[in-house]
Amino acid sequence: MEENLKWLWYAFGTAWILHVLYLGSLSIRTKKLQQQLQNLKALIEENDRKT
Amino acid sequence: MVTFLAQRNSETIPLIGMACTAAMLTTALYLIFVWAPNELTMGVVQRIFYFHVPSAFTAFLAFTVGGIASVQYLRRRENRYDSLSVACNEVGLVFTVVNLLTGMLWAKPVWGVYWAWDARLTTMLLLALIYGGYLILRSSIDDANRRAICCAVVSIFGMVDIPIVYMANRWWRTQHPQPVMFDSAGGLDFNMRVVLYCTFVAMCALLWVMVRSRSRLEDLRRESDALRREIYAR
Repeated sequence: MEENLKWLWYAFGTAWILHVLYLGSLSIRTKKLQQQLQNLKALIEENDRKT
Repeated sequence: MVTFLAQRNSETIPLIGMACTAAMLTTALYLIFVWAPNELTMGVVQRIFYFHVPSAFTAFLAFTVGGIASVQYLRRRENRYDSLSVACNEVGLVFTVVNLLTGMLWAKPVWGVYWAWDARLTTMLLLALIYGGYLILRSSIDDANRRAICCAVVSIFGMVDIPIVYMANRWWRTQHPQPVMFDSAGGLDFNMRVVLYCTFVAMCALLWVMVRSRSRLEDLRRESDALRREIYAR
């Protein structure tokens, strides 16, 4: 019984860790892109001001 | 449904949607660990099934929506369908990996081995490899239009494997247990069936949250590429 319980926890742990890691990676990628977008917009505005 | 999913009224995921998803997942966990009866031969390890089977069906749903969105992209050439397609296929791959790993962790105590090269397992692995290839292809093509067209074709091709995976243990003799979901024979206890369907609904809600987030990411990437092109063009 206890031996089988170990496999149950491994399976549920793996499933949840994968989902959480994926959601975390989505959040990090979104933040990076938002930062990039802000930088690009600032660069365009700066170019506009110069010209 | 695909057109509805491709339309996003707001930038962020509604808080109420996320709260409902969290509530559904918590309810599903309660049902799996507390409410569901213990299976007589396998014991507690059978409870892996409540995560393993809905993961597969959620992945099938994601790949099907992704495939239909790809067809729509090829017909209309609207970027929102490409965003929906990549979102569904990437999230579908996450659910496929969850399905494969939970299956392996169930197989070890029950079969004595992590993996058997039977038709159901092999076709599911093939499905994961097709969509893994899809993501590699997506990152390797620079031209946005060419990338979207090539990926749409692979996505439609990948969808063909779904009925093969589903029918594998009906068409061939496999070590994998016989189907219990959407099966008229009804080999599953009523309470177990309730837990299985509730977990499937909760996973569909999680799929929706993930697809919305991933679609938004793709839109941001498209916006960033457009701005970069604008800078280079000057």
